[in-house]
Amino acid sequence: MTADTNVISTDVKESKKPVFSIPDFRKIFPVLGLIAVIAFFQIYTGGKVFTVRNLKAVINEGFFIMIGSVGYVFLLSQGSMDFSIGANMCVSCAAAAMGSAISPVLAIPFGVGTGIIIGALNGFIHVKFKIGALIATLAMQFILNGFVVILLDGGTLQPPLNMLKWNTMTLKITTFLVIVIVGYIVFEYTPYGKRCRAIGSCEEVTKQTGVNYPLMKFIPFVIMGAIAGLLGFFSLIRTGTASSHTGSELMMNVLNAALLGGIPISGGATSKYRAVVIGGLTMAFLTNGMTLMGVGNYDKQLIRGIVFLLAIAISFDRKNMTVIK
Amino acid sequence: MNQQELLFQADDMYKSFGITKALNNVSLKLRRGQILGLIGENGSGKSTLTSIAAAIQPADSGKMYKSGQPYNPATTVEANQAGVCMILQEKGTFDQLTVAKNIFIGKEEMFSKNGIISNRNMNKEAQKALDHIKASHIRAEMPLGVLNFEERKLVELARAMYMDPEILIVDETTTALSRTGRDILYEIMEKMKKEEKSVIFISHDIDELLEKCDTLTILRDGIYVDTLEKEQFEAREIKRLMVGREVADNYYRTDMQSCENEEVILKFDSIDAGSLKDINFELHKGEILGFGGLADCGMHDIGKTAFGLLKPEKGYVATGDGEIVKNPANAMRMKMAYISKNRDQEALMTASNIKDNICLASYPKLKTGPLVLPESEKKFVDKWADELEIKMQNSNQYVMELSGGNKQKVALAKWLGFGADIFVLDCPTRGIDIGVKSNIYNLMIRLRSEGKSIILISEELSEVIGMSDRTIILKNGKISGEFAREEELTEAKLIDYMM
Repeated sequence: MTADTNVISTDVKESKKPVFSIPDFRKIFPVLGLIAVIAFFQIYTGGKVFTVRNLKAVINEGFFIMIGSVGYVFLLSQGSMDFSIGANMCVSCAAAAMGSAISPVLAIPFGVGTGIIIGALNGFIHVKFKIGALIATLAMQFILNGFVVILLDGGTLQPPLNMLKWNTMTLKITTFLVIVIVGYIVFEYTPYGKRCRAIGSCEEVTKQTGVNYPLMKFIPFVIMGAIAGLLGFFSLIRTGTASSHTGSELMMNVLNAALLGGIPISGGATSKYRAVVIGGLTMAFLTNGMTLMGVGNYDKQLIRGIVFLLAIAISFDRKNMTVIK
Repeated sequence: MNQQELLFQADDMYKSFGITKALNNVSLKLRRGQILGLIGENGSGKSTLTSIAAAIQPADSGKMYKSGQPYNPATTVEANQAGVCMILQEKGTFDQLTVAKNIFIGKEEMFSKNGIISNRNMNKEAQKALDHIKASHIRAEMPLGVLNFEERKLVELARAMYMDPEILIVDETTTALSRTGRDILYEIMEKMKKEEKSVIFISHDIDELLEKCDTLTILRDGIYVDTLEKEQFEAREIKRLMVGREVADNYYRTDMQSCENEEVILKFDSIDAGSLKDINFELHKGEILGFGGLADCGMHDIGKTAFGLLKPEKGYVATGDGEIVKNPANAMRMKMAYISKNRDQEALMTASNIKDNICLASYPKLKTGPLVLPESEKKFVDKWADELEIKMQNSNQYVMELSGGNKQKVALAKWLGFGADIFVLDCPTRGIDIGVKSNIYNLMIRLRSEGKSIILISEELSEVIGMSDRTIILKNGKISGEFAREEELTEAKLIDYMM
C-alpha cells in the first residue's frame, strides 16, 4: 500500500452567503452616518449647508480632519493611537512661526521637522519602553501643552503677513489630494500597509512571520507627527497666528472621523482606508453644521464627546473580545 | 445494561453559528454508570453538544433531561449544582490566581468569615481536592502561571471532581496529558463508573476510546450518525462512520527507508535555550526529523529556537553553509518556515481573512514595483488554497470561521506559498480530525520527496515514529535517545527514554 491510497477528502459543503450580516452593516453604517449628518443640518438650517460659501468652509474644515485621518489610519489599524496630535500641531505651528521669522520658506521644514521629532519621540517611548500608546501620547500631550506656553512665552506669534497669501484653495486642494492618494496607495497596496493591519489583527503572528514589528510600530507615529507638523504650518498661514489654542480640536475630530469612517478602535483586518474620506467628511459637515446653528465651543465639545462614544460603540470589533478590559 | 436508568438525555438539539449548523437534530442518551465516548471529525459538533449540556452556551432549540426531569441550566454554576461538570478542550483556568483560587473560583464564600476569606482554609481544602485525584505534586498555594498545560488540566479536573459531579464531561483533554496525567484521569473515570455515575469522554484517539468507553456515539457535520456498544467496537468501522466512507488503517508513512542524504541543512550546536540543555543535532536535506517526549521535555523550545524566536543563551543554530539564525526574519531568508503549536494565537490571524493570512509571508515576492496588486494576491491565494484543498467560501472568509483542520491548512499554505525549504512543524496535527491529518501526512511525505527538510515536533509518539526518518527523544531538556527509522521502533521502546 502506498501513502497515496490514504487520501481522504470530504465533499465541499454547499453554503450560501447570508443576505444581511453584521459586517455588512458595519460597511454601510459610515455612509448612512454621513448622509444623516448632511440631511439633518441641511433641513435644520433651512438649506444653508449647500451654498458655495459654506462649502468652502466645509473644505477648510475637512482639509485638516481628512489629512489628519490619513496619519491616524496607519496608527489605528495597528491598534495604536496618538492623543498628542493636537498638541503636536500646536507646537509645530509655533515652530513654523519661529522659522518664518528667519525666512518664510523655513516655516515648512520647521513645522514638519518639529512634528516628526515629536512623533518619533512618541514612537520611541511606545516601542522601546513598551508603554501603551494611549498612555505615552496622553502624557506627551500634557508635556507639549506646557512646552508651547514656554515656547510662546505666554503670548502668540505671527508670521510675516505676506505668508497669509499662501493660503490658497489651489495649494490646499493639491496638498490634500497628494496626501490622501499617496496614503491610499501605501495603506491598501503596499506590504507596509498590509502589515499594519496584520499587526492590529495579531501581533504574535507577524512576529512569527519575520515582520520587523518594532520598526513597523514605530513608523506610524513618525508619519502622524509629520502630518501634524504640516497641519501646524497650514494653521499658521490660515489664521496668521500661533497660539496655545492652535490644534485644540484636531485630536477629537480626527479620532472621531476614523472611527465614524468604520475603523474599529482595536485595529486589525477590517480597517479600511475609505474611513478617511467618509469619516472626515462626516466630521467636517458636523463641525460646520454646528457652527451654522450657532452652537458654542463648549457645546461642540460635549457633542463631540457623545459622538466619540457612539462611534466606539458602533465600530468596536467585539469578535475578538471575550472579556471587556 | 440497557435496562439501566437514563441519567441524561438530550433530544432534537439544534445549534447554528451563522450559517454553520453545528448541531442538526442531534439526540444523546447517557445511562448511569456509563462511559460514553463521543467521536467525530472536527466541526462534527461534539464540543458544541457537551458545552450546551454544561451550560457554557445555549442551544437554539432542543430539550434536555436529567434523571427524567427537564434540565435547563442557565449558567455553568447551575449546571455544576445539578451535577454536570466539564473539562474544556482549551484552557479554562486563570494564570494570575493561585491553584486554590482557581479551584474555588465563584465559591469563595465557602471560606468567608464576616466577609473575609481565609486563604489558609481555602488552600487546605484545595490540597485535599488535589490529593483526592492523586495530583499531590501540585501545591494549592502555587500561582497557576508556573504550572504547565498538563498540570493546569489536572487543576481543572480537581475543581470538577471537588463538586462530586454525577456527569463528568472530558473534552479532548488527554492530548494535553502525559501518561501520568492520563492514568489519573482514567482512574477517576473508572471510579465514577463504579459509583454509578457517568462520563462523557471526547477524544480523537480511537484506541483510547475503544479501551475506555462502554458506548460510542458518532457525530458527523453536526448530525447524529450512530451509537455502538462495546461488543460492536471496531476501529475501521468507526473511522468509516466518522468520515462517511472507507478509510485505511494506517495513514503514516509506509516505507521504512530512512534519509540517506548526508547534506546538512540545519545544525544545532551545543545549545542552551529556554528549557533546553546542550542540544546538538543536524538536520539533513530531504529528512523528516522527529522530536518526541513528555509535554514539558522542552521539545517545543526546539522549534522556537530553530526559527530564531528563542535566543540561545549558549551555542548557535546555523544553516548548512554556516550562516547563523538570529531572528525570524533571518530564518525566513534562509527559507525556513515555522508553525507554532498554538495555532490560533501564534500561527494564524484568526480575525483576518484567508487571503491576508496566506500572503503575509510572501509580500516581497508578490510585489509589482513597490505595490502588491490585488490580482497577484488573488492568484497566489487561489493557487495555494487549491493546492491544499482548503474548504472555504472564498478567500475573503475569516479564518476564525474555519474548522481546526482547515485553519492548519491555511497555515501550511502560507509557508508552502512562501517556498520554504525547511519546515519546523510544532504539533501540526494537534486537535485535527483524521481526514485532514492524513492530508498533512501526505503533504509531509511529498515535501520530503521534493528534498525539503522537516522538523516534526509532536506530543503524539505514534506520529513521530510513523513519520520520521530519525526520532530524537528529549527528557528534561536534554536529548535522551536518537533512533533511526525501522520496523522495530515502537512506542513502548521509546517510553523508557522519555521518563
